[in-house]
Amino acid sequence: MSIRVIKPGMQTTIQADPRIGSRHLGVPASGAADPLSLALANKLVGNALLAPALEVTFVGPRLRFECRAQIALTGASAVAELNDEPVAFHETINVSAGDELMLFPADVGARVYIAFAGGLIADEVLGSMSTYLPAGLGGFKGRALLEGDVLQLGETAPQTVELQTPEKFRPPITARWMLRACRSVETSLLQDGQRGVLFNTHWKVSRRADRMGLALEGATLKVDSDGRLPSAPVFPGAIQCPADGVPFLLAVDAQTTGGYPRVAQVARADRHLIGQLRPNDHLLFLPRQPDEAIDELRAKHDFWRQWLPGIETVI
Amino acid sequence: MTSNAQRLFACGDDLITITVDNPVDAQKLSEYLRLSGEWHEAVAGIDSVVVQFDAALVDLHSAMQMLEGALAQDFIGDDRDDSNYSDDGLVEIPIVYGGEFGPDLDALCDQLGLTRDEFIALHTHDEHRVDMLGFTPGFAYVDGLNETRDVARLAEPRLHVPAGSIGIADGRTGIYSLQGPGGWRLIGRTPLTLFDAHADDPFLLYAGARVRFKAIDKSDA
Repeated sequence: MSIRVIKPGMQTTIQADPRIGSRHLGVPASGAADPLSLALANKLVGNALLAPALEVTFVGPRLRFECRAQIALTGASAVAELNDEPVAFHETINVSAGDELMLFPADVGARVYIAFAGGLIADEVLGSMSTYLPAGLGGFKGRALLEGDVLQLGETAPQTVELQTPEKFRPPITARWMLRACRSVETSLLQDGQRGVLFNTHWKVSRRADRMGLALEGATLKVDSDGRLPSAPVFPGAIQCPADGVPFLLAVDAQTTGGYPRVAQVARADRHLIGQLRPNDHLLFLPRQPDEAIDELRAKHDFWRQWLPGIETVI
Repeated sequence: MTSNAQRLFACGDDLITITVDNPVDAQKLSEYLRLSGEWHEAVAGIDSVVVQFDAALVDLHSAMQMLEGALAQDFIGDDRDDSNYSDDGLVEIPIVYGGEFGPDLDALCDQLGLTRDEFIALHTHDEHRVDMLGFTPGFAYVDGLNETRDVARLAEPRLHVPAGSIGIADGRTGIYSLQGPGGWRLIGRTPLTLFDAHADDPFLLYAGARVRFKAIDKSDA
């Protein structure tokens, strides 16, 4: 029941549910950067929506199966081959012992998810099996995969059903994104007219983009800040702006507290999209009142619940 | 006196910040809210607590009302019970000051009008308290260095700050537990491990812990 890593890819980690309840100790959520794609992959192999699976960043791995398995691919747009033959995303794939899966670099979007029926065996730390690389927590030995690693699959009843994600439940992967966002604690520190700049600029994702956060280019924001705010809690989706005016967007592995002004907060309904942002992607923030954003979250849940019961635990 | 409702501010569609007067209140309130089991997260800052609620089930207005109820419970204000902050030992933090480990020390001394030795004497003189953990696992915010209250964070944070780095900002000392990005002015480094994922208790320090800094030579680090 094992899988051998022939090539690890650029940064391939095991991700599952977020690590909840330890933020006050400085331990971030982690979990899939794009949990909706993780859930879609797990759905196709009969797993719990957030069962441990592989999160692939830009450049995928080459894996050799040493057992039969059912797998599924979702997320960023990339070419995948099983024994040099193309295989499709968004459907159950039956794999035999000896087969090799090759995932080529993603051309749109940032992260591909590979789910395995039965899930991957992973280290559980502070209540989650997700990998948090900066502290070496969870997943496979707390680190990204390396050549020669052997992954173990969890037990599963043989699944005979083969599924395809219905067309309307395949999230569009694009290079142009819109994220709904609300005011945050220090929005009032934006100087006159700067809130308009925040919400009207077509931001570009810089090269400084990872699971902790993404720096944005395209404008500089003028904030009334002398760099001496008392450190305060921050969450994934926060948009913070240091005195140099270059805002950054926090992602799933982000720090739990910080001292740069929090000028906006991406709404819960759209935070999963942050995991597919890649350098040079374009990004527009859409202003929302909190109540509007909550209504939109519930509408999004109602839509996704038709295919993914339990979606409210995912996004 | 600020009314409880005035302390609350929605900072997202599932986040509410609660303004408090000091780090001890922030710790006590956040602990109370965590133990209530009603919040996804309740995280303390220096002078605030932020809760995350489940917006799929709870409206913003209801969440605000729940918090007003919690704040009415006397967790802030009157007879402050400091029992969580009992003397359970002093942790000595050895630091190699300056040089490659503290690239901002000289500029900081210039700003403060102190020599390097005067600054080190000041930093190692008194006992301090850990106000909170945060940022990354085990990063400790240490209180009470009033002489540095005008020291700002870097306008452009560094991408790579080594684990064990000691930073100064806003009247506090920060101890970086992991290698990573950071914006505090770096004055030195400690050889201590602040966070060890494989230890029974991964955290060296907790909010309320007493610490004292001690200057050591590079050869002792």
